[in-house]
Amino acid sequence: MVADAKTALSRADKRALYSSELSALVPKGQVLHTDEDLRPYESDGLTVFKRAPLSVVLPATIEEVQAVMRWASSRQVPVVARGAGTGLSGGALPHEDGILLGLAKFNKILELNAEHGYARVQPGVTNLAISNVARPHGLYYAPDPSSQIACTIGGNVAENSGGVHCLKYGLTVHNVLSIDVVTVDGELLTIGAMGCDDAGYDLMALLTGSEGMLAVTVEVTVKLLPVPPVAKLVMAAFNSVSAAGDAVGSVIAEGIIPAGLELMDSPAIVAAEDFAGCGYPTDAAAVLLCELDGTEAEVNAQIGRVSDVFNRCHATALHIAETEDERLLLWKGRKSAFPAVGRISPDYYCIDGTIPRRELSTVLSRMDELSKEFGLRIANVFHAGDGNLHPLILYDASVDGETERTERLGSEILQLCVKVGGTVTGEHGVGVEKINEMCVQFDTDTLNQFHAVKAAFDPAGLLNPGKAIPTLQRCAEFGAMHVHNGQCSHPELERF
Amino acid sequence: MTNDASAALLETVQQYVAGANPFVIVGGGSKSFLGCRPAVSEPPAVVSVAEHHGVINYEPTELVMTARSGTPLSTVISTLHEHGQQLPFDPPQLPNATLGGTVACGLSGPTRPYAGSVRDHALGVRIISGKGEDCSFGGEVMKNVAGYDVSRVQVGAFGTLGVLLDISLKVLPLPESTVTLMFEQAAHDTVPMVQLARQYLPVTGAVLIGEQRFIRLAGSEAGVKAAAAQLGGESVNDDGPWTGVRDLSHAFFDDIRPTWRFSVPDYASTLELPNDDDGTPAATLYDWGGAQRWVKTNASAEVCFAAAAGAKGHATRFSEAPAGAPTHQPINGVSARLQSELRASFDPHRLCNRGRFHPELDS
Ligand SMILES: Cc1cc2nc3c(=O)[nH]c(=O)nc-3n(C[C@H](O)[C@H](O)[C@H](O)COP(=O)(O)OP(=O)(O)OC[C@H]3O[C@@H](n4cnc5c(N)ncnc54)[C@H](O)[C@@H]3O)c2cc1C
Repeated sequence: MVADAKTALSRADKRALYSSELSALVPKGQVLHTDEDLRPYESDGLTVFKRAPLSVVLPATIEEVQAVMRWASSRQVPVVARGAGTGLSGGALPHEDGILLGLAKFNKILELNAEHGYARVQPGVTNLAISNVARPHGLYYAPDPSSQIACTIGGNVAENSGGVHCLKYGLTVHNVLSIDVVTVDGELLTIGAMGCDDAGYDLMALLTGSEGMLAVTVEVTVKLLPVPPVAKLVMAAFNSVSAAGDAVGSVIAEGIIPAGLELMDSPAIVAAEDFAGCGYPTDAAAVLLCELDGTEAEVNAQIGRVSDVFNRCHATALHIAETEDERLLLWKGRKSAFPAVGRISPDYYCIDGTIPRRELSTVLSRMDELSKEFGLRIANVFHAGDGNLHPLILYDASVDGETERTERLGSEILQLCVKVGGTVTGEHGVGVEKINEMCVQFDTDTLNQFHAVKAAFDPAGLLNPGKAIPTLQRCAEFGAMHVHNGQCSHPELERF
Repeated sequence: MTNDASAALLETVQQYVAGANPFVIVGGGSKSFLGCRPAVSEPPAVVSVAEHHGVINYEPTELVMTARSGTPLSTVISTLHEHGQQLPFDPPQLPNATLGGTVACGLSGPTRPYAGSVRDHALGVRIISGKGEDCSFGGEVMKNVAGYDVSRVQVGAFGTLGVLLDISLKVLPLPESTVTLMFEQAAHDTVPMVQLARQYLPVTGAVLIGEQRFIRLAGSEAGVKAAAAQLGGESVNDDGPWTGVRDLSHAFFDDIRPTWRFSVPDYASTLELPNDDDGTPAATLYDWGGAQRWVKTNASAEVCFAAAAGAKGHATRFSEAPAGAPTHQPINGVSARLQSELRASFDPHRLCNRGRFHPELDS
């Protein structure tokens, strides 16, 4: 039967067919389909999930993206967009029956307008490259994820990425003016505006953080901010994590919003110091890095007040970076915390939940218990100013069952974040990784509304299917495994 | 002093949904002059959120406040002030304004280009959708990327994506010190204000009114003092034009002609608007460093929309409009299709505030 012809095709046949059809849409060499060529695209930064797509297409122009999307729509083939593949939630994990749309060739900075404070760039440009071209003009792009040398601005928009300075300067959503996107059926449109707002619904906000589920970003215009003339970093040591947590609240209560306010616990301090040799006090239970920036007068006024607060909060040591080199070195330790932890353990798994800050002590002590229960060590780095936790679970994938145990521990931690009033993801996205925990955070009506939003943009569900928003059936299955307070989630659904 | 009317509101909306009965959403009624008025006017069914009021959760060191939509804006602001905090977007404080109306209309004051907008500070919302469903999006934490960012999309949607019940916003400390500087005989363009935005200075307002340019500095006392010395100008003793500009009560707004809001890039040149029939030119007040322009003109809606489009922006009528007249820059093409589908995803029968926002999305 004709209708079944498509499904009847073997994987190899489909791969051959798709590759030849795609080859007609983009220049030679821009479609990959051999096992060897596909391997680098099998996973993103979350390598526990791996899957090969049927083919990878690497368009170089907007027209090519449009042609590929029109083809995918007419053939009903799933499409997963990919930037640099540094995502930590499996957002760019390929679909086994679909194609991967790599945006690496979109790597040009199209316009830098220093006078009007913006840059227009292609989506495959790295985050840091934008600041690098802006800096000679005294400007920069504010969001600074630790992965900024590698991750792309298109990926940042898709994840609404943050960085250590987003407490004061905001997330991606606060720093992007407009984007050009290609819809699932290949139409091109501009979203957002060069002014402060646009007519109609705020699609710019909706598309930011939508994990490649609503449209493909093909151009991004970001806001550039003036580089603060002065930045100073205070490092404070504490003999308990909760004392450090209290100090964070006290800084805010003082009416000061630091540019960055980061907390590391003892295992993270030791690992980072070992890796970067940056001068962290390895005997401390917790360290706070507090950066103040602004004009000379502002920073000088605030640095004394912050130091007073830390002293009042029983800091055991206080140090103000004396030179710019030292300031950057202290940040380097923090920004390389992930690879640093990678050196003290064969594998690590980064969790990304946000909690109301007042719950920090409760959450950390519960995490301690969980760590013992599961027999797995945890190191903590924490965007303390905005409550975004990154527990790093240390494990060894070569030990039987340890990966699964790690994933279960991660899931417990995320559910704990929800329980104390937080969220399962602060900045890394849901992807495939946290899809089950979404069932804990959102009720059925809300999940249904998310699906309706998706359908408004992509009725056939071809863009990054299976990510970000769980189906109700999946929640029912997850609920059957995890019974909360004696009540399973989504009780209205039949069990399978 | 607080009241949770969500159950009653849910029941009311569900009844309207069951009967496919369109309804208008009302808070304090302070912004009833905004938006389109449908040409046929049978008295509409009303969903009033005024009885759903009160602060639900406010912990100053978390920098987050959650309040019910019917909470008077004045209560929200005074509660924050008591704790040395503020709504960073400094919204218009029209008499009887509620938090819900402020968020639904997406109105931000003169601080907006420097401190961010309502949507920039929206963290979470609970709504009743046009399907009669009680949904909660986002939350009470500052960083949250779980699910689509529906909270921010509700901002400025004029209630057409559902009835706002509870709203969580990021709040910030009040500045230690504030100074307003005045510059006389200012050139009638936005260049100096645009240049100012490229410098690292504690600016929280920049307006051009007639020949006077006002710059507001706010932050730490030492920082403000140093910036004021650097910029020069004349320091103003009272609190300057900010409240009048924010609340549309400045003498500029006494001009009896309709008020239009133009949102354009701050560097856009003078808007191309014709003189009125009697030869009177349009009058413009530049707020937001030039990115928000208040215009007094008798020009038709079509002429205003064309002028806004020419400046790569959009226009909104800010005076009560004749019945059936458009008030918001029309949306067309692919964007109109997507926005119409988005509206339908929340409110398939277009019951919430039908015809009030962008009537072209309601058919
Ligand atoms: C060591 C390390 C440190 C990190 N630190 C941070 C941090 O501090 N803060 C933070 O927020 N994140 C951090 N991350 C996570 C990651 O770098 C970000 O999520 C980043 O934005 C991903 O960008 P990417 O280009 O690698 O996107 P990818 O991983 O390729 O893709 C991510 C998602 O975006 C979609 N996507 C990509 N490009 C497009 C496009 N053009 N159009 C539509 N959808 C698209 C993909 O489909 C996928 O869903 C870190 C990661 C690592 C490995």
